[in-house]
Amino acid sequence: MSTLRAWIRRLAGTVAASRHEREIADEIASHLQLHVDDNLRAGMTPAEARRQALLKFGGVEAVKEEYRDRARFTLLTRLVQDVRFAARLLRKAPAFSVTAIVTVALAVGVNAAIFTVLNAAAVQSLPLPESSRLATVAFRAEGGPRRGVAGMKSMLSYAEFQVVREQAPVFERVTAFAPFYGATLGGGEPRPVSVTLASCEYFEVLRVRPAQGRTFAPRDCDRGGEPTAVISDGLWRSAFAADPAIVGRTIALNRHSFLVIGVAEPGFTGTQVLAEDVFVPLVFLKQIARESSLLDSPDVSWLYVIGRLRDGVTLGAARVNLDIVAAGLTMRSPAGRIVHLDASRSTLAGLPEIRSIVLGVGGAIVIAVTLVLLIACANVANLLLARAGARRKEIAVRLALGAGRGRLVQQLMTESLLLAVIGGAAGCLAGLWASAAGVRFALAHLPPGISPVIFDPRPDGRVALYAFALTTMTAVAFGLVPALQATRGARLEFRESTTTDRRGARRLQSVLVTVQVAVSMILLLSAGLLARGLYRANTLDPGIAVDAVSVVEYDLRSAGYTAEAAAAFQRRLQERLRALPGVRAVAEAGGAPLSDQHRETRFTLAGSERSVMIEFSQVDAAYFDVIGVPVVRGRVFTPADLASGRALIVTESTARRLWPGRDPLAQSLVLDGADRPVVGVTADAQLSRLGQADSPYVFLPAGPESQAAMRMLVAAAPGALSARALRDAVSGLDPQLAISVTRLSDNLELWRAPSRILSAMAAVLALLALTLACTGVFGTVAYAVSQRVREIGIRVALGAAHQDVLRLIVRQGMRPVLVGIAFGVAGAAAVSSVFVNMLFGLSQHDPLSFVLVPGALFAIALAACYIPARRALRVEPTLTLRSE
Amino acid sequence: MHDDKAGVWQGTLALMILKTLETLGPLHGYGIARRIEQTSGDRLNVNYGTLYPALLKLEQEGYVAAEWGMSDNNRRAKFYTLTRAGRKQVERETRDWERTTAILARFLAPRENA
Repeated sequence: MSTLRAWIRRLAGTVAASRHEREIADEIASHLQLHVDDNLRAGMTPAEARRQALLKFGGVEAVKEEYRDRARFTLLTRLVQDVRFAARLLRKAPAFSVTAIVTVALAVGVNAAIFTVLNAAAVQSLPLPESSRLATVAFRAEGGPRRGVAGMKSMLSYAEFQVVREQAPVFERVTAFAPFYGATLGGGEPRPVSVTLASCEYFEVLRVRPAQGRTFAPRDCDRGGEPTAVISDGLWRSAFAADPAIVGRTIALNRHSFLVIGVAEPGFTGTQVLAEDVFVPLVFLKQIARESSLLDSPDVSWLYVIGRLRDGVTLGAARVNLDIVAAGLTMRSPAGRIVHLDASRSTLAGLPEIRSIVLGVGGAIVIAVTLVLLIACANVANLLLARAGARRKEIAVRLALGAGRGRLVQQLMTESLLLAVIGGAAGCLAGLWASAAGVRFALAHLPPGISPVIFDPRPDGRVALYAFALTTMTAVAFGLVPALQATRGARLEFRESTTTDRRGARRLQSVLVTVQVAVSMILLLSAGLLARGLYRANTLDPGIAVDAVSVVEYDLRSAGYTAEAAAAFQRRLQERLRALPGVRAVAEAGGAPLSDQHRETRFTLAGSERSVMIEFSQVDAAYFDVIGVPVVRGRVFTPADLASGRALIVTESTARRLWPGRDPLAQSLVLDGADRPVVGVTADAQLSRLGQADSPYVFLPAGPESQAAMRMLVAAAPGALSARALRDAVSGLDPQLAISVTRLSDNLELWRAPSRILSAMAAVLALLALTLACTGVFGTVAYAVSQRVREIGIRVALGAAHQDVLRLIVRQGMRPVLVGIAFGVAGAAAVSSVFVNMLFGLSQHDPLSFVLVPGALFAIALAACYIPARRALRVEPTLTLRSE
Repeated sequence: MHDDKAGVWQGTLALMILKTLETLGPLHGYGIARRIEQTSGDRLNVNYGTLYPALLKLEQEGYVAAEWGMSDNNRRAKFYTLTRAGRKQVERETRDWERTTAILARFLAPRENA
């Protein structure tokens, strides 16, 4: 107790040091006075009395020192001293301090923001109660026959899930589920919803309570029972106007009745990034995905499996348990296959495939951002080096007075740490804001027609730790070398007392500038290329008529149409659409141009063994007219072609590529064992990818069997046709279909959106890098000039022309810049292949970017050199000479 | 040591201070120093200054309390008082000290007997 109290008092003493200092001085004075009084009474002379008292007391300063040590913690005191001293210095040089702090803040902020997002996606547990005990089970097969995949490879089949459920006692409960996006919720206005098929344990495992009604009970999960559903709070509000009597109502999902048994608690939207609206027992798979036989397929990956670990069970124990289960599965599985099961903490990106994508993309971004941080560190190091030069005399004096080099380095490092901590703290706050704002920006710029994305990254202890580590590392990165540099050999120079140029520091500065320029060159070039790509995406003529073409989509397959019924429906719909006022032409197609609906298959060249993978789409005769792609040779599909399916139309470049120098109309391709002759050749157009007109593409006739998968493309006079009219035309035939009407030009957005997000990010980073690099160049040259003011003065006094001196300084300043530009251009050329997809046909070594950007950087660096050099020359030479 | 004036161990100095305060009541640093010297029959050589860090330590530990006041001959001085915890500490330390000396005495005694 008394020890603890003493510690607290000492701590207090450390803070209130000056009060203690006065206290002891007073007490010693009083003590001496009392002693002197006694001595006088004993008959000594005043001088002798005082002398004896002092002698008896011992060394006053030594006592004070001992008292001081006792009064507070020496190390802490030193730290407080250092921090105070550092704070005073920083206040005295506000320009330097602000530059350094802002630099660190920007770099740490951006880094922390990105990490927050990555952390939320791939590290943080799901935002559910006690989610640290949730584990995602992943499947991996080694060898053996090919396995079906409906989703991702590491998902499980229903039979495998049942084995895990029975044989993994490490889990309190295990659930399996599969989200299906794009089911249709019937009603006054049918709408697409996402339905998650889940095993009975779903809500118990995730610890999600019903806000109304109940969640799944065992009886809901009997095959052949009454289909039931739990809906999300969001859907309850948006589709059912928060109907208080929703529980017990029947809703239609893909034309099947489901009894609503409950509403999930507000905020719960499933475990994926895309919001899930309805939760249905797994056994009703057939009602949602009509022809699906997944439940009875023992060897298809299609189910997410999440288990809740028992209290006190670690992931390691779960893995051991799953190894045993996997061994059992290996015994049952086809010969030659070894099954592995793994458990990992359940995160938003839960499965290994998704996690590796997220971490891969995130890692690339983190590398880019770390490069910026590196420039920032180089910059601050540069500033510190420059300052260390200015403080050489102070440091030499302190060394001469007996300060240890270690103590001085400690002092200098304290300054760096103080800068870093202030900058880091500011950066963290900025980063918090930036991560939220960045995610909002990205979500707001998603292409139209994508389901709402639920992603709200929240920072946690890991983010704080990351930011703290980053800040500390930053301080060491920019502080240590200058601190060592500054204290080395300072003793010698004190004697000389001049400002001779120091080679080591200069060389280091040059290297720093080179690195900075190279790194910002890479970022700038990337941003430049991406911006050019974006510009191209926005201005590119896709070669098809995107304006005034509407795409009408509905899902006949999930609505239970047979092939004949679908064909009849499409025929009647086409008639209705053509009858609408303003409609110029109507076509049907399996995939709209520039959508993500293109399919790819293997065609064999007739009369040879050669086969190629080619993208294709099934279309009718009017298609080419509707999208404005002319048929340059041959003809479009005839009704006979459409009925038989034995015909092909290819694009010009496809023909050139497949049959160079031969007449394409005399050729044919083999698909599914049937010979399909080429009947027409169209002009090249950007059909499947924006910016690529010459990739092979084949049109097949939209035959009677594929009618259920067709969508309508309607060309009309501009402004003549409303989405409402198109919608009514479909719902007039079948009121229970969920209909989507988009403009063909919306598909361009699909390509522009990622490009926009990426170029915005790259631009921000590159601008940051450019600013930092320019500050670096400016600082270095300014420093070099300040070191050479005397030399410049002498040169000018001896009659050197201003021009020559200027040239000398600028040449020296620009040397590291040029080296940096060269390295940067080489680096950028190497990395630009990463985003070649975002360039829309632009070369990844686009000459315009590769000339303009280095040119701009060169010009800016030149200005950064010129300004301080110019300033130095303006100083009166006699003045500079006299000041030395 | 040939000098017949002994130095003071840090630990024992604290006990001497506490005991002095227990006997004489509130006292300033100079008074405590004089008293220790007198009690030892001038056989202890205390640099008066060493007293103050020891007093500070006792104060931090809460065994003594300090307050500025006036001395008999009207001089401003800092007076130290034994606290309740200090009183207990005197008892405890006295006991410990007696035990230690008893043990040491037994160590030293047999040699004379042997």
